[in-house]
Amino acid sequence: MHELSIAQSIVDSAREHAALNGGRRIVRIGVRVGEISGVAVEALEFCFGMTVQDTDMDGAALELERIPVRFRCSCCAHEFHPVEFLGQCPTCGSDGATMIAGDELGLSFLELE
Amino acid sequence: MAERVEVRQSVLKENDRIAGELREALAARQILCLNLISSPGAGKTSILESTLDAIRGTSRRVAVLTGDIQTERDADRLRRFGFPALQITTGGTCHLDASMVRRALEEIPLDGLDVLFIENVGNLVCPASYDLGEDAKVVVLSVPEGDDKPLKYPGIFRRARLMLLHKIDLLPHTRFSRDAAVADARRVNPEIEVLETSCVAEPGLGAWLRWIEERLEEKRQAGRPARV
Repeated sequence: MHELSIAQSIVDSAREHAALNGGRRIVRIGVRVGEISGVAVEALEFCFGMTVQDTDMDGAALELERIPVRFRCSCCAHEFHPVEFLGQCPTCGSDGATMIAGDELGLSFLELE
Repeated sequence: MAERVEVRQSVLKENDRIAGELREALAARQILCLNLISSPGAGKTSILESTLDAIRGTSRRVAVLTGDIQTERDADRLRRFGFPALQITTGGTCHLDASMVRRALEEIPLDGLDVLFIENVGNLVCPASYDLGEDAKVVVLSVPEGDDKPLKYPGIFRRARLMLLHKIDLLPHTRFSRDAAVADARRVNPEIEVLETSCVAEPGLGAWLRWIEERLEEKRQAGRPARV
């Protein structure tokens, strides 16, 4: 349960960016959450609400974009969502795909008023 | 009218910044830093006890930071070997972050150390997200936990450089498949290295101790200016 500290980090970073953009009010924050980032999105939404409550960011929306795990075949470059991390390419059948998405945890955008 | 501003940065930017400072401070002194992560009860503290016991007969100097939600028990266990061991009591937080490590290191003199071990809070989920300035994350998977952990908790196996298959002497008493555990860990992380260890029976910790020594040597080679 580390979502509270993650929510706090999101709010701190958003404030920093808003300050750089003339100190405008933040109405929405976009965050990319990879499937294996270890973050429970429901818990993060709950903690975010608690973190901004009764502050200047009260009412700001948190828009979470879930990023599924994606592999790219090192043979034919086909991209696919693996079942249980099995690296076998469903198109050409070769092994040895590499993971290209799914462990991110990052800010993607802010909406400022 | 709201304006949308694109922002590309890690959510844990502040943690990553502090971790970067720690990494520089450790690199300047050529100290190897290993972050041990596992479920509660997998054997992190026992591995460290045996490791410190083996190292105390050598010229190597090490220190340990050990994280737990409550109690000083682990640090008490680890101090018996004559090396500095500091407990970080998180008071509820399920992982260590870089600022906790920075605070703890104010109490441990770094000069003269060869290796800094960080024993994370027992948890396979949250500690995976936090960079502590380490050279490598080491995930400990003990046989009684079952061989299905790499696919159930892929985040940490993805980020670990080394997996210790620990309490390996219990293999004959369980249905744990060593092949399945290794194959699944490599599905998530094709680069992961694997060593088998036990604190109480063969094969002991020899492979792990050699691995530490190799990583230390590697770091010192990398830190040395190239000869012209």
